Amino acid sequence: MQLTSFDRFVWAASFAGNLLLLLVLWRRGRAQSFPVFTAFIASSLARTIIIFWVLRDLPRDYRFIFWSLSALDEALQLLVVYELAVHVFRPTGVWARDVRRTFAGVAWGGILLAAALACLDVPATTDPVQAYFLRGNFFSAALMSELFVGMVALSVTAGLPWKTHVARIAQGLGVYSIFCVARDSASSALGLEHAPHTFIVLSHLRILVYLACEGYWIAMLWQEAPAPRELPESVLTQVYALQRQVEYDLTRLRSWRRP
Amino acid sequence: MREYYFAGLAVIFLATLIGVAIYYSLRARRSAEASWDDLLKRLVWIDRDKITAIAMDAVEESGAPRSDDEAFALDSLTIWTMLGGMEGLDALEQNCGILVELAAYLQRWHPEALVVAEQLRLNAREIEWHVGRLRGAAQTGNLQSSFGDYAQRAVVTYYLMTRHVLELCDRASFPGFADLQRAL
Repeated sequence: MQLTSFDRFVWAASFAGNLLLLLVLWRRGRAQSFPVFTAFIASSLARTIIIFWVLRDLPRDYRFIFWSLSALDEALQLLVVYELAVHVFRPTGVWARDVRRTFAGVAWGGILLAAALACLDVPATTDPVQAYFLRGNFFSAALMSELFVGMVALSVTAGLPWKTHVARIAQGLGVYSIFCVARDSASSALGLEHAPHTFIVLSHLRILVYLACEGYWIAMLWQEAPAPRELPESVLTQVYALQRQVEYDLTRLRSWRRP
Repeated sequence: MREYYFAGLAVIFLATLIGVAIYYSLRARRSAEASWDDLLKRLVWIDRDKITAIAMDAVEESGAPRSDDEAFALDSLTIWTMLGGMEGLDALEQNCGILVELAAYLQRWHPEALVVAEQLRLNAREIEWHVGRLRGAAQTGNLQSSFGDYAQRAVVTYYLMTRHVLELCDRASFPGFADLQRAL
C-alpha cells in the first residue's frame, strides 16, 4: 500500500498527539482518576506503531490487524463512557438512586436504536467482511453518540454536576462520535464506488477531527480544575450531622401514609 | 432506494442528537455559571406559614409522623386551597428544581458537603416525583383521590428539606441566607 504525504503527516501527528496526551495524563496525575481513558490513549499509541510496522513489513496481514485493532479501540471507547458515567452518576460512591434505572434504559434504548440503524445501513462496499466491519463501526459511533447525549441530558435533569476534566473528555469523545456517525452515513449514502474522492476527503476529515479532539484534551487536561472552596471543620461536622438527620427523615417519610 | 431511506433516517437521527446535545449543554453551562445569588433570585416565594401548617398536620416538629387524635385534620380541599391549587404545586416544583441546582452548586464547590448535598438533591427529586404524580392525576381526572396523600407528602418533604437547607446555610454562613429564608 502506497502512503501519501498526508498519510505520513497523519501518522506522525497521531503518534505525537497520543504520546503527548499520555505524558500529560501521567505528569498531571490524571491517570489515577481516568485509568480506562489512559488505557485507551495508550492503546491508540500502540496502534499507530503497530499499523506502521505492519504496513511496512506485513502488508498482507494489514486488513486483519487493522480491523482487530479497530474492534479493540471501539471496546475501549465504550469502557471510557462507563468510566465517565461512574464519575457523574456515582457522586458518593454508589449509583444515584434516581438515575440508575433511567441510565440503564438509555443504554438499552441506545443499543436497540443503534442496532436498528446499523441494520438499515448499506455500507458502500462489495466486500462482505468490510461491510460487516463498517456496520460495526457505524453501530459503535451511533451508540457512543447516544450515550454521551443521554448522559448530558440525564445529568442536567437530575442536577448532577460534571467535574471539569470529566466534562472535557466527554465533550471531545462526543463530538468525535457524532462526526463519525455523520461520516459513516454520508459514505453509505454516497457510495464508495460512486464517489471515491468524497470518501477519502471524509476519512481525512475524521482523522483531523480526532487530532483536534486530542489537542483539546492535551490543553484541557494539562490545566487544573477550578479549586473547590473549603468549609471550616466545625461546619463540616454539622453537615454530616445534618445528612444523618435528612436520611432519617426520608426513611420515615417513605413509609408514611395518610389514614 | 434503501440508501435514501437510510440517509433520511440518519439525518433525522443526527439532527435530533445535535439538537438535544446543544439544548442540554446550554442548560448545563447556565447552571455551572450560575452563582449562589443567581440561584436564589430564581426562587419563587411560597407562604412558609401555610407550608408549616400543612406539614405540622402530618408530622411533629422533629419530623416524626403524628399519632395523636388531632393529626390529619386537614382535608384534601383545605390543603388544595392553602397550597394555591396547581399553581402552588408548580411553585413548589420550581423551587425544588432550584434546590436541586443549589445541591449541585454545593457538590461542585464544596466537595466536603457532597453527601448531604446528594441527599438534598434526592429529596428535591422525590418532591418533583410526587408533584408529577399529582399532575398526572389532574390530567386523568383523579386529582381528588390522589391529592391528599401525594400533596401532603410532597409538602412534608419540602418543609423538612428546606428546614435542613436553611439550618445548613445558617451554620455555614453562606451568602444570601436571609434571601433564602424569605423565599423558602
